[in-house]
Amino acid sequence: MFYCAHENNLGGRWRFEGVRFKAAVVKECIRDILREQLSGVQYDPDEVGVLSRSLADCIKDKLKDVGFDRYKLVVQVVIGEQRGEGVKMAARCFWDADTDSYAQDIFMNDSLFCVAAAFGSYFY
Amino acid sequence: MEEFSGEEGSFNSEEASNSVKECIQSIIGEESYRQDTVNQWTAKIVEQALTLLVKQTKSYKYIVSCAVMQKSGAGLHTANSCYWDTVTDGSCTVKWENRTMYCVVSVFAVALTP
Repeated sequence: MFYCAHENNLGGRWRFEGVRFKAAVVKECIRDILREQLSGVQYDPDEVGVLSRSLADCIKDKLKDVGFDRYKLVVQVVIGEQRGEGVKMAARCFWDADTDSYAQDIFMNDSLFCVAAAFGSYFY
Repeated sequence: MEEFSGEEGSFNSEEASNSVKECIQSIIGEESYRQDTVNQWTAKIVEQALTLLVKQTKSYKYIVSCAVMQKSGAGLHTANSCYWDTVTDGSCTVKWENRTMYCVVSVFAVALTP
């Protein structure tokens, strides 16, 4: 659930340039990477720290390649062990709803769950 | 991304971290994990944290995310990767727990043009 406050405190004129951060495109990127890197992976407490870090870097690099040149990117990856526990994640953003956006995807198997979210903030 | 010098143009992560801790404590400090109310808790935590940050009236865009997990012996890891201006932008992550649940809140601050 996201609430975006529309706030542009520049006052000056600017024109949107470059590729817009489209949620559908980004979600697809995230989905591909999670499927490719997590299929068949078991939760291992010694390795999952490194795995989550590398996933976050991988997603960020892929998004840079896609061509969001005018965007600052934040990618967050959460990996947890599947033990039937309840988990809830929420985010709120204070940004310019015309230019900024986010995308997320979830991957689950018997052993772990993974949530990846990518936020794009336009740099005027 | 831990540096904070308190000068104009950089994100003060210690101050943000303290605000967030107070937020969490006030909303779920005395509570036990309940599936029917966890939705409201996460929503309140992110909204309150965002409101506190925005009140500082610095020219930043903010992203606040919160995960609440029941304590069941399972492990949880979070990682972030950010492509931004390391001088002006910053983040902080707060881990909090009580007897029945964990709460992890991440704040990302992205500067508007100088």
